[in-house]
Amino acid sequence: MQDLRLLAQAKRGQRGLENKSGLVGWDEVTQGTVLPSFEGDATNIANLKSEERAYSNFNSYTATVASWRVKKPVFNRDICIDCQNCWVWCPDSSILSRDKQMLGIDYDHCKGCEVCVEVCPTNPKSLLMFGEYTELEEALAQWPEKKKKEK
Amino acid sequence: MAEKFDLQEREVWDGNYAASQALRQAQVDVVAAYPITPSTPIVENYGSYVANGYIDGEFVMVESEHAAMSGCVGASAAGGRVATATSSQGFALMTEVLYQASGMRLPIVLTVVNRALASPLNVRGDHSDMYLGRDSGWIQLDAFNAQEAYDMTLCAFKIGENHSVRLPVMVHQDGFITSHTAQNVYPLPDEVAYNFVGDFQPLDDMLDFSRPVTYGAQTEEDWHFEHKARQHKAIIDSRAVIEEVFAEFEKLSGRKYKRVESYMMEDAEVAIVALGTTVETAIVAARELREEGIKAGIVAPRCFRPFPYDAIREALENTKSVAVLDRSSPGGAMGALFNEVSAALYTTANRPLVTNFIYGLGGRDFSVAEAKRILKEQKAHAEAGHITTDIQQFSGLRGPKLGFFQTKRG
Amino acid sequence: MAITSIKNLKEFSTTNDRFEGAHTLCPGCAHSMIVRELMNCTDDNLVIATNTGCLEVSTAVYPFTSWDTSWIHIGFENAATAAAGAEAMFKARKKKGTLKDNNASTKFVAFGGDGSTYDIGFQWLSGAIERGHDFTYICLDNENYANTGGQRSSATPIGATTSTAQAGSHSYGKKEKKKDLVAIMAAHGAPYVAQLAPNKWKIMAKGFQKALETEGPCFINTVSPCCTEWKFDPKDTIGLADLATDSLMFPVYEIIDGHELNILYRPKNIITVEEYMAAQGRYKHLFKPEYRHIIDEVQKQVNKNWEMLQRREEARI
Repeated sequence: MQDLRLLAQAKRGQRGLENKSGLVGWDEVTQGTVLPSFEGDATNIANLKSEERAYSNFNSYTATVASWRVKKPVFNRDICIDCQNCWVWCPDSSILSRDKQMLGIDYDHCKGCEVCVEVCPTNPKSLLMFGEYTELEEALAQWPEKKKKEK
Repeated sequence: MAEKFDLQEREVWDGNYAASQALRQAQVDVVAAYPITPSTPIVENYGSYVANGYIDGEFVMVESEHAAMSGCVGASAAGGRVATATSSQGFALMTEVLYQASGMRLPIVLTVVNRALASPLNVRGDHSDMYLGRDSGWIQLDAFNAQEAYDMTLCAFKIGENHSVRLPVMVHQDGFITSHTAQNVYPLPDEVAYNFVGDFQPLDDMLDFSRPVTYGAQTEEDWHFEHKARQHKAIIDSRAVIEEVFAEFEKLSGRKYKRVESYMMEDAEVAIVALGTTVETAIVAARELREEGIKAGIVAPRCFRPFPYDAIREALENTKSVAVLDRSSPGGAMGALFNEVSAALYTTANRPLVTNFIYGLGGRDFSVAEAKRILKEQKAHAEAGHITTDIQQFSGLRGPKLGFFQTKRG
Repeated sequence: MAITSIKNLKEFSTTNDRFEGAHTLCPGCAHSMIVRELMNCTDDNLVIATNTGCLEVSTAVYPFTSWDTSWIHIGFENAATAAAGAEAMFKARKKKGTLKDNNASTKFVAFGGDGSTYDIGFQWLSGAIERGHDFTYICLDNENYANTGGQRSSATPIGATTSTAQAGSHSYGKKEKKKDLVAIMAAHGAPYVAQLAPNKWKIMAKGFQKALETEGPCFINTVSPCCTEWKFDPKDTIGLADLATDSLMFPVYEIIDGHELNILYRPKNIITVEEYMAAQGRYKHLFKPEYRHIIDEVQKQVNKNWEMLQRREEARI
């Protein structure tokens, strides 16, 4: 399970302020352009994981920027040492870490910037870029061997 | 709890003091301000009420008027009662943020002591600053004297904070003539005034962390128009709430206010339409002319925004000739009030003749004699059946007569 | 879960993001790394104000928001004042007891790019810091107006080419020195001022926590390498930040109460300014023979500045 999505999946693709005929009219936009981030009581939000949160349809968590990506990072669990470099430096909050473990990539939010690959310290890297349509097994099969240190 | 402030049934206050007492009685939570003549005492007084325990609020003296309104926006989004004061150049500097306050639907109260805009620099009263705010999406109430400055400021909180309105409100008074002239003012007792305004009811409160909100999102061509339309509807619809609040205020104070004030208009043939202290001058002129047999009356928008298109039409539709007085340099156009009154009257069956006077710029005095002269001119137009002078004239100006545009049409 | 003392990255990674993805910042943008870290290093309630700029136009595009806490944008220049106004309201409501939760720990933060911080918002920032509001201002310094296509700001260093200070046959790019805003903020007597960098995540997190915990106005300048306008590959953002801190173009240090200076990161191997510049397209022209002296000039300035910082630290005043 490399491409694990610890996501409030049902929310993905929900669009704020759309109805059957498209974007809503002036009578249905939010007053003062104010956008609430959550539905219901969000007092304890800092202590809730994404999958435990009631995101509103206005939260960009529900949106996707996957179409920005040309190449995607693929994660190889077998090599990863859970250093969390990728987690701390991912600019798109797309590294899914739970209980100090790196579990996968949120491909709806990943823009394919490759920072995670660059900061990965393992040898070979536990994250590598592949074509957007490369299957996981195919990618893992192509994984390079450990590089010898150059003298 | 705030300390008790001793009030007499009748006080002698100038307009600034009257407005500041309204801020105290409304127990404004935050005033972010950058004082400017002639409105300075309003926020100085608020600061002294805080310093002496008469208000449990925060006075934030910032470094510019732009910051004053910016601070007010931040404070208002944080879910409490907010007010400030300004004039003239300060008003101009905060203009950017005025639009942002109304777009975010934040019910800030801004007491504006009207003053001319430079250049040339001038500290006296005219309506240039008030006019600069006319498209900003704020409700604009106009007080003609110190009592009204007090009354309108209290009403402003109740109107703007009403959840079906949620718009910022300006209360205008004329620089020096109102702001610095001590007059009799009858304040409401503190409890009565506070209960009239009521506790602030937050909406989309940034300090309610059970419901985090984003203020000030960007909207482009797909959303901006819808938001501005909704905002426009809110200010047009605020007419009903303004009338309700005025009615409630009358019950408490005995003082009756309307969106458009009319004086001696029941049978008036000629009329002056004006704003601010000029209204009282014009009333005196009309009274005197009535003794001479001229049926003169005065119409004054209490509410400059939303513009009382409906009530103006009603007030003036049976007149023959109307002079609309603009106390702001129109910069290559007819006066704004003239344009708006004319637009309203164009839709009446009677279509009275309408002329425009630019007057009183930079605090130039406007006399009863001049008001009488203007009304008499209207009488002449009425009798001739067409405008016999230039349509736009400058009143009270030294040098050769200055006027523009003519018509022989009725 | 959020944490109070960040021991290591594994532990830090157990915090829950309050800055959400699917914002529209460029791939590899350091802004979001910095913002994420600020929001992850505390579980206090946050009120965040943001100036107009890359961060603002990318995180609150109607009808979406990437912010899981209270957030406000007014204009280009006034986030500091928006935060100050909200902070004043917090104090007023706390006195009156009209807050929903009167005991919750609440922090006020303002973000701005260098354009809105060093230039157009300078007065608003100075005013808010001088007045002593309890808030933290964080400048995301990418040394240009990146949101509008890369114009020069007063944070742009000498020799960088920008759309309004262009390198050409008669110009080596920007001719003026970068404004030392950290020194200016320290001169306000602010209780905590620092310059931090996202590659040094732990120092940055601790600096953020210190600022949030410090009562009064705090200012933090963060280096935010901009792949779009500095012209490097997005994957190298952290590598560029390493070059920035290790060449001492961006020394990492703090100034407490306006005088006590502590260097927070001392590179083991100080690299040359040339190496830092060579990694970026915005300095490419400086490697032509006629402009090489500018690199030497910048190196001299960097050496002098490092010397000054070290002496101030040693002075222990």
